[in-house]
Amino acid sequence: MKRTFLNFKTLTVYILTIGLMAACSSDEISENTDPAGPDPSEDSRWITIAAAKMGDAPGDGNGGTLIYSVSSDDAKDPTKSIEPFENGFIAPSNRTARLQSSEDGNTIFNISYAGDTGGNYTKYMVEGGQNFTPTGSSVSIAPYVGTAPRWIKLFDGDKTGAAVYVSTEHQFDENDVYTRTEATIGVLTLDLVNSAIKEFQEHSVALSAEEEANGYYISRIDMPVLNAAGDKLYIGARLSKVDPATTESDSDYEILGSKTIVLDYPSLLNPSVITSTVGHGNTNGYRSINAFLYEGSVYQANQSDPEGSHILRIDADNEYDNAYEFNLDDALGVEDAYILAWRPTGNGKAVIAYRHSGSAEGLAGAQGFFALADLNAKTAQKIDDIPYDPDFYLFQYQGFVVDGTEIYLTQGAVGQNGNIYVVDTETGNVTKGAELVNVTGSHFVGVF
Amino acid sequence: MTFFKYNMKNLLTAFLLIICFSAQGQEAFGTIFGKAIDASGKPLPYASVLVEGLKLGVLTDDNGAYSISKIPTGKHRVVISFIGYGTRSKSFEVNESASKIKIDFTLQENVENLNEVTVNGKTKETALETEGFAVNAIKTKEASLRNIQTNELLNTTVGVKIRQNGGLGSDVSYSLNGLSGNSVRIFIDGIPISTYGNSFNLNSIPPSMIKQIEVYKGVVPGHLADDALGGAINIMLHNDAKTNFNASISYGSFNTLQASVNGLYRLEKSGFTIKASLFHNYSANDYKVSGRSVVVTGLGGVQTPITAKRFNDAYRSTGGMAQIGYTDVKWADQFFIGITGSDDYKEVQHGAFMTITPYKDRFLESDALLGSINYQKIDLFTKGLDVNINGLYGKRNRAVNDTVAWAYSWNGERAIDFRGDEYQYTWGSQQEGGPTLAKIKRNVASIRTGMSYAINDNHKVLLNHVYSGIDREDSDALRSVLENTFQGTRDLHKNIYSLTYELTAFDEKLKASLFGKHYQQKTTSVDPAVEQDANGNDVVANEVVSSNKNYDGYGFATSYAIIPNITLLASAEKAIRLPNETEIFGNDGDNVVANSSIDPESSNNYNLGFRLGSFNIKKHDFTISTNVFTRNIKDRIGLPIETSLNVDDELIVYVNQGSGTSKGIDAQLNYSYNSNFGLNFNISRFDLKIANQGIEIDVPNTPFFTMNGSLRYSFKDLLQKKSRLNLFYTMYFTDEFSFLTSQGSNTVGDEFFKVPQQLAQDFGLSYVFPNKKLVMSFDIKNIFDEPVYDNLSVQKPGRAFYLKLNYTINKF
Repeated sequence: MKRTFLNFKTLTVYILTIGLMAACSSDEISENTDPAGPDPSEDSRWITIAAAKMGDAPGDGNGGTLIYSVSSDDAKDPTKSIEPFENGFIAPSNRTARLQSSEDGNTIFNISYAGDTGGNYTKYMVEGGQNFTPTGSSVSIAPYVGTAPRWIKLFDGDKTGAAVYVSTEHQFDENDVYTRTEATIGVLTLDLVNSAIKEFQEHSVALSAEEEANGYYISRIDMPVLNAAGDKLYIGARLSKVDPATTESDSDYEILGSKTIVLDYPSLLNPSVITSTVGHGNTNGYRSINAFLYEGSVYQANQSDPEGSHILRIDADNEYDNAYEFNLDDALGVEDAYILAWRPTGNGKAVIAYRHSGSAEGLAGAQGFFALADLNAKTAQKIDDIPYDPDFYLFQYQGFVVDGTEIYLTQGAVGQNGNIYVVDTETGNVTKGAELVNVTGSHFVGVF
Repeated sequence: MTFFKYNMKNLLTAFLLIICFSAQGQEAFGTIFGKAIDASGKPLPYASVLVEGLKLGVLTDDNGAYSISKIPTGKHRVVISFIGYGTRSKSFEVNESASKIKIDFTLQENVENLNEVTVNGKTKETALETEGFAVNAIKTKEASLRNIQTNELLNTTVGVKIRQNGGLGSDVSYSLNGLSGNSVRIFIDGIPISTYGNSFNLNSIPPSMIKQIEVYKGVVPGHLADDALGGAINIMLHNDAKTNFNASISYGSFNTLQASVNGLYRLEKSGFTIKASLFHNYSANDYKVSGRSVVVTGLGGVQTPITAKRFNDAYRSTGGMAQIGYTDVKWADQFFIGITGSDDYKEVQHGAFMTITPYKDRFLESDALLGSINYQKIDLFTKGLDVNINGLYGKRNRAVNDTVAWAYSWNGERAIDFRGDEYQYTWGSQQEGGPTLAKIKRNVASIRTGMSYAINDNHKVLLNHVYSGIDREDSDALRSVLENTFQGTRDLHKNIYSLTYELTAFDEKLKASLFGKHYQQKTTSVDPAVEQDANGNDVVANEVVSSNKNYDGYGFATSYAIIPNITLLASAEKAIRLPNETEIFGNDGDNVVANSSIDPESSNNYNLGFRLGSFNIKKHDFTISTNVFTRNIKDRIGLPIETSLNVDDELIVYVNQGSGTSKGIDAQLNYSYNSNFGLNFNISRFDLKIANQGIEIDVPNTPFFTMNGSLRYSFKDLLQKKSRLNLFYTMYFTDEFSFLTSQGSNTVGDEFFKVPQQLAQDFGLSYVFPNKKLVMSFDIKNIFDEPVYDNLSVQKPGRAFYLKLNYTINKF
């Protein structure tokens, strides 16, 4: 009897040992191979590639966001091969991380999206390859803007991040008749250097009485950007509409002129709403910065515009410049152009990631393309030197690197290998860079 | 998939052939009857009478009489035995001229020492586990005397994994061989547990109310037919017809109090029976937690990690059942009408994850009041015709309360913002999404009818029907009259029919059951909308959309005893899960709209196993069983991924998107020595994959490898004569698993997503006082205070102590 007991114990220990060995073995082989080579020289910088692993559907990007850095020399070298899915660092975020980087590429900023640490801000020193060393103390913005925050880095020398939140509530009069929908926004600024919260303000943001009576309200906000004077913060907005008779969501309604919320900065007080007469549709973008400062004005892309996406301009007077008309349908000669992500350089040229009515329907939605645009001339041409597979899609695209007048970007269809491409915005020359090795169902979401 | 279809067809063909063969050679039957008396002529009740080789046996009645029917023609031998008396046997022959044979016995009292009698009959559980299904029968008798909850009992069962989001009363999900959620159906006496509501579930009903739990994996017999894709768990409540009473009270860590009273009183003459059960559970669940999100936030948002006591997690549930009727009367074995009432309150400390913003004063309440009717009769009208009806009708309500806007910290106090001020959340509630006083009222009904007819000992046909219906109405006191007016209602009515043919052949060596199931689901959504009448005035009219769908499934289970102790078991089913109301009609809140053309999920499930045992070698007794399984799921239902085309529109629908497989093995060992030492060990391992657009992945967040072991040792007469002391040890092992899909071989940062390997160990003792009426139990759970998690970062209770007193009277 005693013997049997011992046997059971031995058996358990044996099985546990096998279990332990099996569980540990994956750790043992993850030695730190560092194929990144030496630190970038003075005229080189770090390029961090971001890759989104498949969750349960091809192209959903929910299986982890991996990052891996190489020198810009290596990034431009088509003989180099980079495998973020094999060798990368997995950003701690339950769903696709929304990454930001310092302008010099030496620091990566991340705010975890959803899950138990959703809203946690972390800063990493980029040290090549999979080496990202956390620095600074931890801080969470979840108490102010929730565990799935929409945030972006402001262009103020990597000092500040801004995150936003909106909650809505339908309002009724004493006879229970619908009057309007109250949109309460929360805006937070984060000190990226000292990992501390700078400022947080809440406001009720109203539309015009007529718009509100018709059931329009601000349902989502995102993509804050500073004006040239640094005294106003613009926040992109999406509008939704209810049927005032039933308070049920409407569809197929008239799309209003594109709107932006304007706040005093850095106090985050005195909200107002400005409306474009040029563009219609939303200005809140998706995961990539949607509005940029260039020569004293803020240029903002809009989405879901019935006439195709526009680049809109907000001038130094903090009002839409309705004389500035840059329609992507017209510029590219396509229909239903939709700007998925974009990035200008200091010379007024920009790379635009877009789809249009002629896009193929691929594994994960509409096929994406890149175009080279000129903000001054209001022209754009599709970049033909980049290959466009039907499964190449750019909806989740997050990052471009601007190095002088050059723009780095990633290309690669879902589940297929791709490359880094470098677009010289001045000449229009396109250089094929390092190969990006993909895995099944996954894709690349940009460079930082 | 066609491969499986053919496979399934071939199996069925083979199966039908076996039936045809075995159906031959069936002839007439005979009956033997008689009386057993002792030397003085006194009748001997409860003596065992057995026809050798046929496993036909009965006990003599109060007058010493017996009767055994259905004895095939031929020569047989009947053996009678009674403890304290000797054994007698007689040979007899059944033929056409002698089909009713009277055999009387006179037994001599055995004055010599009794030789140990080895009883080699099958227990009810063993009988069930050798029918051919991949099934486990869990006895609750021992657990009900200890500080063990029904969920804990299930969790130690092979192939079953329970994942609970905290302590007593918190959300639980059940997984059977890797399939979970909607794929697993849970019943109470064959009635879907959802009918009983949230307040009467496996968190609240004590094991003392339960007689046995059956867990069917992958293949569900016709008598429990439902759209159970991955299997079914059936909770069988006590259905004895003997007067008894028991009461218990348990108190322990985290201010946990659990009490239960069960009683049954039967008037011997009339058979009039009254029975009632009551339970009450309370736990503050204020156990300690720590970890990466358990922090207190100071000025500027600086975080300090702390060890916190959960402060908004209390659980209370109270409920009961009362039934009156008749038992063991001429017209019914059981007839009861009854009432079931329950009520619970559960505070919610956090959402799906433990974040840095714990909830304060968010709670859920539910209650249910249901009327029930049960009828059971074996041999109704004619021998072999059994009828069983279980019905339930009533109302159940659920409420969510979340109206506090103030932010709280893990120390249980108001949190401060970066400026140092107490603050309110922008969203005005604890959980993001805004304040709510949502109420869901449901009228529920479910009735299960089973009828079986045994043509003879070899052939039996069963017909089963289950109806379940839910009428649902939502409202929220914090929303306006208008919003509440235009809130839609959703009704769901499900009818499932099954026809089963059961075969026993080759001297009971072969048992088989072949079944077909028909699923019918009618769903109706009523959405008020504004329309214009003939005069052009706006009126509120209802938009009614309904869908009526019919599907079929089928399967079989078979077992073959190669030798009496070695049984091969095989079963297969084409199982179906019907889309639920959200998947069909969408959900206004989530901008999901109706897809009335959605197909059900289906799965071809296969089990193949064997059972060795039980072997008795001297005083050693052991059983080994194992099951290999595959599940092949088609048309999984899910939401499509967000793309630039649908990000802004309100037109997301649930779709059928791809397939999935689960493959694995379960194994179990039971050993006992001299019936005072017992050991159970089981191990379960599987691979769960899903494929979408032809791309296959391992499903993350799945505990794929588990082991459970338990030891029991029993001392007799240790402290007092006629007393018994039982010692128990249980261990639960769950291997590490990741919240994230598997990554490359050289990636870093994976550890963030890992749920670590866990080994929890419990120790317990119970002391049965000499009068056998009083039992005291003491249990220590998680002796080594290991941090245990079922879900990423959601810590479960640490070390805990419980003391329980049981009082039982079986004889009045």
